[in-house]
Amino acid sequence: MREVVVLGVGMHRFGKTGDEAVGNKSVTELCRAAVDMALKDAGVSWRQIEAVSAASSRFSGGKGWGLNGNDVVEDLGGTGVPVYNLSAGCAAGGNAFNVGYSLVAGGIYDMMLVVGGEVMPRGMIQTSGVEDAADPEFLRQRCVGMPGPSFWATLARRRMHDHGTTEEQMARVTVKARQCAVGNPYARFRKAVTVEEVLASPYVSDPLRLFEICPVSNGAAAAVICSAAMARRFTRRPITVATSTVATIAFDDALPRSLAGPVPAGPSLHTEARAAVLRAFERAGIGPREIGFTELQDNTCYYELAFPEEWGLCEAGEAERLVEAGETAPGGRMPINPSGGFVSFGEATTAMGVFQIAELTWQLRGEAGARQVPDARVGLAQTNGLGGNATAAILKR
Amino acid sequence: MSELREPCVPGLFTEEGGASLLGARCRSCGTPYFPAPSHCRNPSCAESALEPQAFGGGGTLWSYSVANFAPPAPHRFDEPFRPYVIGVVDLDQGLRVVGQMVGEAADMRVGARVDLVVAPIYHEDGKAFTSWKFELSRGSREHA
Ligand SMILES: [Zn+2]
Repeated sequence: MREVVVLGVGMHRFGKTGDEAVGNKSVTELCRAAVDMALKDAGVSWRQIEAVSAASSRFSGGKGWGLNGNDVVEDLGGTGVPVYNLSAGCAAGGNAFNVGYSLVAGGIYDMMLVVGGEVMPRGMIQTSGVEDAADPEFLRQRCVGMPGPSFWATLARRRMHDHGTTEEQMARVTVKARQCAVGNPYARFRKAVTVEEVLASPYVSDPLRLFEICPVSNGAAAAVICSAAMARRFTRRPITVATSTVATIAFDDALPRSLAGPVPAGPSLHTEARAAVLRAFERAGIGPREIGFTELQDNTCYYELAFPEEWGLCEAGEAERLVEAGETAPGGRMPINPSGGFVSFGEATTAMGVFQIAELTWQLRGEAGARQVPDARVGLAQTNGLGGNATAAILKR
Repeated sequence: MSELREPCVPGLFTEEGGASLLGARCRSCGTPYFPAPSHCRNPSCAESALEPQAFGGGGTLWSYSVANFAPPAPHRFDEPFRPYVIGVVDLDQGLRVVGQMVGEAADMRVGARVDLVVAPIYHEDGKAFTSWKFELSRGSREHA
């Protein structure tokens, strides 16, 4: 395996169709802006890219909404490069990065582009719409009616029971996230909020409120990666990819994701995320306590409390105290989502894994401005995707 | 009860002989399933040997949340929409099941004893379409 580095990154500010950030730009336009920025940042021309790994939400061969890497390549000018379209729900960006990383590490290509972007359809994401009694998701919606946020709300309620977590403590996670986003020109929500404002926002799924759940967004991110040997021709301070991993859900996962499963003997954890992150620690030879900062998938503020302890970044039940003491802010002992996270960006599904690589790169270079983690040396990124997908990556300087 | 009742999806649950979910259990490894799959999915199971099993009776509320807004189709509900509680219940028979709760969020608490019931979730064409739900056991209701 060869060492792989991140040479350049780019992003298009996140927003909602029609707003000042993204207007009516197509997903190809958003991706083009992110790719142009990444190429310029890397000092690389489009013709030097040997292959493209794209996070794709579009059904292969079909039309419909969503990113398809071939459209991005056509827009940049068809050079005949191979395009890998990766589908893994909201983990697709992480998967695309992993495939790019693996192909460069394995010596197949020297220089690759990784891209993810999305223009989300309006309203709640729906299932296929086909009334199929053999489809567990159809049964879950027809027989129970469990909207997406209520899965997270159920876990948050359980945490309140296990650790005495209060609604105010959960609100403080959003307050911290928005404070970070004030200093991030790419965030969709860049206005600070108070605990009172968060607690005054309506419940989407009690105990979780509107300001505590990420909406869907439009946005894009890109990264140029290459072998360490080739990087020497372009930069004297590349960001090293310590590792990149992918995992899927395990049989003994006890979270209420479907209709029913066995009552577990032990704790109920996110097995896909945990497997991806623990595998990353093992492969990189970097332990959880050596991680300087983390970008994790905060579809809701609950995850900033639950994930760090599921991965051993802190002790079980310690997260609330760390949040209250400001230790999860960029200047704290365990900085989480200095970018502002999904709660401040909204989720442009396939962009997110690449968005995290861009933020890690800026942080490790010391280019993150007001949200900079002091002396950032090692960063962890993690995504989760529908269908039981997860990815992790560790970057270092 | 005079209204005509019909399961919202046929073949998944029954009211006859007490409310129960029609699932399966693997005789080799003991894994419970609802609904019944075509074969055992336990990667450590030596040989899939599924047999039908009905799950019902009592359990413990593992956690719960509220649907404060109406979920999109294919969910169906009676207008006007009323927020409802969704429970995750650990049945004494070893199955963790998701289902609507009978009753208000204010009465719920994690760890409460509950019972499986079958009750209407929406009405259409003069009929009540039913699903499985959970109801606080009598003792739990008094303590709530
Ligand atoms: Zn078995």
